[in-house]
Amino acid sequence: MVTHFELPAHVTAEQLIASVSEQSSLHLVSKHPVLKTYYDSFDWRLYRHDIICEFSQSTQASILQLSHRKTSELIASTTLIEVPSFSTQFSADKMRQILEPVLEMRALRAICHVECLVYQFDIVNNDEKTVLRIQIEEFERFNHRLSLFPIKGYDKVAGRIVEVIAEQLKLCAIDRPLLLDILKSQSRHPKDYSSKLDIPLSPDMRADIASKLIFSNLLHMLKVNESGTIANIDTEFLHDFRVAVRRTRVGLSQVKNTLPDDIVVRFKEFFSWLGQITSETRDLDVYLLNFEYYKKQVPVDLRASLDLLHELLAAKQRQAQKQLAKHLRSARYSTLLAAWEAYLGSTPNNKPTQVDAKLTIKALADLRIWKVYKRVIKEGEAIDQHTPPEALHRLRKTCKKLRYLMEFFQHLYAERRITSLIKQLKRLQDVLGDYQDYATQQQKLMHFSQEMQVSNAPDKTIMAMALLIEDFDKRKNKIRDHFTWQFSAFKKPENHTVFHALFATHHS
Amino acid sequence: MKVLALYSIKGGVGKTAGAVNLAFNAAQAGYRTLVWDLDPQAASSYYFRIKPKIKGGSKNLIAGKHELDVLIKGTDFDNLDLIPVDFSFRNVDLLLDDQKKPTKQIKKRLKPLADSYDFIFLDCPPSISLLSEAIFEAADVLLSPIIPSTLSLRTLVQLKEFIDDHALTHAQLLPFFSMVDSRKKMHKDIMQQVLADYPATLKTTIPCASDIERMGVERMPLGAYSKSRSARAYAELWQEILMRLA
Ligand SMILES: Nc1ncnc2c1ncn2[C@@H]1O[C@H](COP(=O)(O)OP(=O)(O)OP(=O)(O)O)[C@@H](O)[C@H]1O
Ligand SMILES: [Mg+2]
Repeated sequence: MVTHFELPAHVTAEQLIASVSEQSSLHLVSKHPVLKTYYDSFDWRLYRHDIICEFSQSTQASILQLSHRKTSELIASTTLIEVPSFSTQFSADKMRQILEPVLEMRALRAICHVECLVYQFDIVNNDEKTVLRIQIEEFERFNHRLSLFPIKGYDKVAGRIVEVIAEQLKLCAIDRPLLLDILKSQSRHPKDYSSKLDIPLSPDMRADIASKLIFSNLLHMLKVNESGTIANIDTEFLHDFRVAVRRTRVGLSQVKNTLPDDIVVRFKEFFSWLGQITSETRDLDVYLLNFEYYKKQVPVDLRASLDLLHELLAAKQRQAQKQLAKHLRSARYSTLLAAWEAYLGSTPNNKPTQVDAKLTIKALADLRIWKVYKRVIKEGEAIDQHTPPEALHRLRKTCKKLRYLMEFFQHLYAERRITSLIKQLKRLQDVLGDYQDYATQQQKLMHFSQEMQVSNAPDKTIMAMALLIEDFDKRKNKIRDHFTWQFSAFKKPENHTVFHALFATHHS
Repeated sequence: MKVLALYSIKGGVGKTAGAVNLAFNAAQAGYRTLVWDLDPQAASSYYFRIKPKIKGGSKNLIAGKHELDVLIKGTDFDNLDLIPVDFSFRNVDLLLDDQKKPTKQIKKRLKPLADSYDFIFLDCPPSISLLSEAIFEAADVLLSPIIPSTLSLRTLVQLKEFIDDHALTHAQLLPFFSMVDSRKKMHKDIMQQVLADYPATLKTTIPCASDIERMGVERMPLGAYSKSRSARAYAELWQEILMRLA
């Protein structure tokens, strides 16, 4: 049975009611104005999981409902005064169970809202028993909507009623959430943000023009995450802000000889500064995000003693965040960012001075990716059980460069082949990243531990931290074995053949 | 899922009123609740305005031809469903007797509903029969209304004896006082004596009240049309039962 309909533009709620009451008796249960607000994370995680999150407020009640994007089926519902920012703040079990794995660390934010007049009706039989519940929502700027809520054991009666009114009033079944209508009316789209790169390059674009396009994309990503970073809405704004910074830095150093030297020097310095001023906050964010996991690594009776460490980290994070926000509000930041934006927007020089500026972007991309790929292989092959950690660290950075280059230029290559290579590179990067994480976390933790000993923290806390440090060490060493395995998987001949075929074009 | 049977050997003591109103209180608190009308008089079906009709008849129901689920009707209240009964159910003992293990049948029918409901209330007919034995097997709790009179005291004793004789130990017997007139000294005296003889008796009492009688006119649970002292009494009784269950 269809349960959600759209009324034709000219049909009002009153008309619908009149038409229904011709054949069935109905009771008006309520009629009241409702404010509906839609929520999602900045990167649309709920929408991507086909969940619509709607908060309806009226003088009677405020209810948060999760429903399926395509079927409108209700998934969970709870009464709330206010929508919490994070999934962990929900007290209703079911709601939390659904939201936690989807949202993770991301905050819920209001996306858009709409006012409507909601009529609720019961259709009753001769015994005055309700056999079907009806809801009509009247909007000012959208077609009205009719929703039916069948009652168990009365589907047949309900089906008959629905058939008649749908036919009589030419109602259309609807499977499109209202959210989409609202967004459309505001010229917005769902999923309008993703941290994935998608730069529409074409192979014979001039290299300097293409690189400006890449940097403009990265600048956009940086700017949309700026206010969320300053306000510390959730940790992902800073994370994505930093990704944009790092990608820009790799672009400036790796997409060589296309932009004028003075520009490259000036903005390399600016983006390196941005990397610095954001790193401490991010490090602390990572600790706090991982804290529950840390706790689980020590014996149960020591867990509570780690709360002191949590306090210390949280205090440091607040401090670092404050500094970071100050930097992002500074004149230095805004002036240089505006200058960068102005440069990227300026018309390209017809006679570029740089040697590679007039290459096609495809030729340049081939050259750069092939070169960095060979470096990855060379550096990786030099690593064995006895190589110092610095070598792994260096390889991690080279891999990152390769990854960013491949992502910048993704559109220039056969999609299936390049995404498969990226996926395999990612696996290698994950191992290297974990190694690095454990190494720095171990080091930092030792540092914090010294700091806390000076301030006379209890022995138990220091002991728990020592256990954690030891645990990191063990994990770090285990990862070296993983690395050997992952690296040989990455450099297997099949991959090499594809790398060669895609990028070594200038050699053949 | 907990199964609570409103049971008494005697008729007209407040079993149906108890089943309907306690179920209503459970549902209002958010528990997924079902009432199963097992009395061919179909009083609880009537109170919820649900037609007294067993889809496919009693025979198919007892033979387990289809899942109990297809017989369930949603009431007008959130979280509250009901399985109606009809007059064919008057022969239920004969139908049960045709089954292999007659006294296991109610429990068996209820089993598939375990994940769908938190509480199932059985509104039982007044008698001791094969059906009552099947109900004793299925129930976690026997809620037995007692009108404070010398006669009903004897009924409680009979019920206890019956349960003990049949070793129906797993069901908890929780009597409660129904239709209590607090002005009558005799009621007070008898209640005191029952509480002394049988301390498991629930402390909350349901008064004799005209608005409870009016349920037959309103055709809905008391709490849906009244906020009176008697409505509160059912709410308190439900709280006390919940505590005993914990
Ligand atoms: N507390 C009460 N005060 C006044 N009247 C009551 C009370 N409880 C029930 N009644 C009325 O007494 C009559 C019998 O009550 P009820 O149907 O609940 O008893 P029962 O035990 O289910 O009866 P039966 O054995 O016939 O199924 C009904 O008319 C009902 O409205
Ligand atoms: Mg009855």
